[in-house]
Amino acid sequence: MPDELATCPRLLRHHGRHHADEPALREKALGIWQEMTWGQAYARTRAIALGLRGLGVGEGDVVGFVGQNRPDLLFTEIASHAVGALSLGIYKDSLRDEIGYLVGHAGVRVVVAEDEEQVDKLLDLGDAIPTLERIVYCDPRGMLKHEDPRLMAMAELVVQGSALHDREPCLFDRLVDATRPEAPAILCTTSGTTSHPKIAVLMSGPFLNHGMSYLEVDPKGPDDDYVSVLPLPWIGEQVNAVAHFLLSRIRLNFVEDEDTTTNDMREIGPDCLLLAPRVWEAMAADIKARMLEATPFKRFLYAQGLRLSERALERGRRSHIGDMLLGRALRDRLGLSHMRSAATGGAPLGPDVFRFFRAIGVPLRQVYGQTEMVGVYCAHRIDDVDFDTVGVPFRDVEIRINEPDRNGLGEVVVRHPGMFVGYFRNEEATRADVRDSWMYTGDAGYLNARGHLIVLDRMRDLAKLKNGDRFAPQYLENRLKFSPYVGECVVLGQDREQVTAIVCIRYSIVSKWAEARRISFTTYSDLSARPEVRELIRKEVAAINDVLPESQRIGRFLLLYKELDADDGELTRTRKLRRGTINERYADLIGALYSDKRDVDVDTTITLQNGRRQRIRANIAIETLIEPARSAASRSATVEAVS
Amino acid sequence: MTPSAAETKPRDTLLEASGITLSFGGVTALRGVDLIVRKGDLLSIIGPNGAGKTSFLNCISGRYRPTGGNIRFEGQSIDRRSTSARAALGIARTFQNLALFAHMSVLDNIMVGRHHLLKCGFLRGGLYWLGGAQREELSHRRRVEEIIELLEIEQIRHATAGTLSYGMRKRVELARALAVEPKLLLLDEPMAGMNLEEKDDIARYIVEINREWGITVIMIEHDMGVVMDLSDRVAVLNYGEKIADDLPERVSADPHVRAAYLGEDDAAA
Repeated sequence: MPDELATCPRLLRHHGRHHADEPALREKALGIWQEMTWGQAYARTRAIALGLRGLGVGEGDVVGFVGQNRPDLLFTEIASHAVGALSLGIYKDSLRDEIGYLVGHAGVRVVVAEDEEQVDKLLDLGDAIPTLERIVYCDPRGMLKHEDPRLMAMAELVVQGSALHDREPCLFDRLVDATRPEAPAILCTTSGTTSHPKIAVLMSGPFLNHGMSYLEVDPKGPDDDYVSVLPLPWIGEQVNAVAHFLLSRIRLNFVEDEDTTTNDMREIGPDCLLLAPRVWEAMAADIKARMLEATPFKRFLYAQGLRLSERALERGRRSHIGDMLLGRALRDRLGLSHMRSAATGGAPLGPDVFRFFRAIGVPLRQVYGQTEMVGVYCAHRIDDVDFDTVGVPFRDVEIRINEPDRNGLGEVVVRHPGMFVGYFRNEEATRADVRDSWMYTGDAGYLNARGHLIVLDRMRDLAKLKNGDRFAPQYLENRLKFSPYVGECVVLGQDREQVTAIVCIRYSIVSKWAEARRISFTTYSDLSARPEVRELIRKEVAAINDVLPESQRIGRFLLLYKELDADDGELTRTRKLRRGTINERYADLIGALYSDKRDVDVDTTITLQNGRRQRIRANIAIETLIEPARSAASRSATVEAVS
Repeated sequence: MTPSAAETKPRDTLLEASGITLSFGGVTALRGVDLIVRKGDLLSIIGPNGAGKTSFLNCISGRYRPTGGNIRFEGQSIDRRSTSARAALGIARTFQNLALFAHMSVLDNIMVGRHHLLKCGFLRGGLYWLGGAQREELSHRRRVEEIIELLEIEQIRHATAGTLSYGMRKRVELARALAVEPKLLLLDEPMAGMNLEEKDDIARYIVEINREWGITVIMIEHDMGVVMDLSDRVAVLNYGEKIADDLPERVSADPHVRAAYLGEDDAAA
């Protein structure tokens, strides 16, 4: 890459000068899409950067940002690079203590916070974060009552920055010229499936170079609209909303609110999109659920359209009749009419969901990567999509399988020039994960004959039954979650006699199902305890068991009395299961699943979203689909002992 | 009982009700209630069921005509003014039971609140582009959008009001009252029937409406936690009479109030 384009601020300056009047991004505010040109984006970033400089932010400092994806947070990130600082994105639904840990660990000096909600969390931390000197808020709403001297409005920062620019018009140019591609720029938190998140350090030059390798596989351009839905601090969104935004000038669109996403997305009709598997799954499940309520005629069209489309897909073709009956209308409804490049990443996506979207004409592909490796480095080529794989590696990416077993299955080990330089202030973790410049991902996978990488699960999560049969819990969980009635589930079985599951019902859909059948219920806990609901889920599980090999079938399951929640530490912020926490917290339930018991008593307290605690006492029934072999054996053993 | 502590904030009087009496046949709902509300106040009215709280609000909004006493708003008597004339002066209210247009969209429901502010009549409205009606509608839409943003109801903007949950309908009703551009907002049990999370939200909105938008609020509310947290002043009604009117912490310590409302033994005090 030419030197003048080698860092994020330099790229933005280039576009700000050469494409000043072309639209760079849109934000929906007060119900209207407000457009911003490259010139405006550049000017605003410059003002924020000089404002930060005025606050004394410079080389090596860390600037944090927290909140819903907004242009100002994106500008803050690029602005902090411009003054030589590092940016650290913090997830907006992080709890106070999580923010405290990150701010403290990274020694953040300035945080740009979207609104009062985020500011409150920072103020609550009080003296626990001594490095924090300034809190810049974007939305002044609700701020009047605060008097903390660290607080400052974004508008004020911009005014100060602009004033500095008027006094020293060459300062910003000098700062941007001084940015170095090989200097650490982006701090990106890893999803922290196990404990405190680690912070990967990325350099802006390699970060952008890796973005280029991605674009070779999945080209994007200035005519493409992208809707920025996933959290900006996440590496996937960093690559799209920062690297691809700056490299290929895709138009970013920021939705009004999380709840208006579906509608806003339909208004934009994005050309490219990256969503987490659970979002695709939720979309598919929602369509299925809506079809259950549709008129018989519509159901007929849906079934015919889907059948034709899926049959055509199997032969590698498109069904025009299927598209007329179903695909076109459905894509329009979902806002996917213009979709040219749709991706799913972050976790495996069930093949059924995959097939469904491909059938209705959404060019969905799987991508695979890690925060440490600058996100995606394996992807399906658009003409070579295989539901069971995560695709082939990009140019410059080397993959090998560490300590493979006789089937070639082992830990995925990878390296490429764009990868991270290490974990921030955590030498020990860096040494553990990176050896001889190879990153040990901890994922279990293998390469097939066509060079596709297949990832089954986390290495340590690959489970083995007592009899030595291996199984991949995540895969089973995804299969289960394709049922519209299942919201979340945990598959168990390590060193046990059979596979079992803890299932959380999908409240929005099961509650409708129950209402339609005049089954009365009060809360989530109550609904999940209804025998009718248990029977419903039992049928779903049985249907999945039918297509699974014997050793993988789910023998027993129970319905949990609450939804798994990131606030309870049961899920990560990207909604992956935290198995350790779950195993610990629900040890009683798991014990019961592997006993002869038909039910189990629960007496516990749960924390509601607003921080209040509620006591739950319930009797949870355990459904048995397959009798475990063990109980028969142990019973006969007891008989022997008695005789 | 004098609102002595409230005098620490000398502000103009917005509403002055003196000697309000209201009888329905033989039943007297209000007996000579006096109340002074200053600009920027957030005043709560509490009292047991049937104490006359809603009747009092109805007297202010003009739904009931008091049988005695008079009400002055911004210095002028409004006793003879109709409900709509009072709304035009800047008095808006929400109802204890919902009163939305169920078949209209949320946007249209809120726009109704601005009806008295619209200047274009039937004819100019018909000449949409020529008569300035478009410009007028756009400027009002902007204000409505600001209200929508304040109350965080973006996602239901185009939904039909009747299809919404109870908590959401309450919010839309509040939005409509705000669309009137009130100087005085009367809220009749804004949190009745809500769960904890919804209450937290509404409490936050009320504080923002009062502190940041500078709208004076009179609120009837039963949740004592909310009343004590939010209010500048609390007035207590019992059997149609005002028995206290003071700072929240003093009212909650008042033995008569505890006896009448909080259900403690008067003799003990």
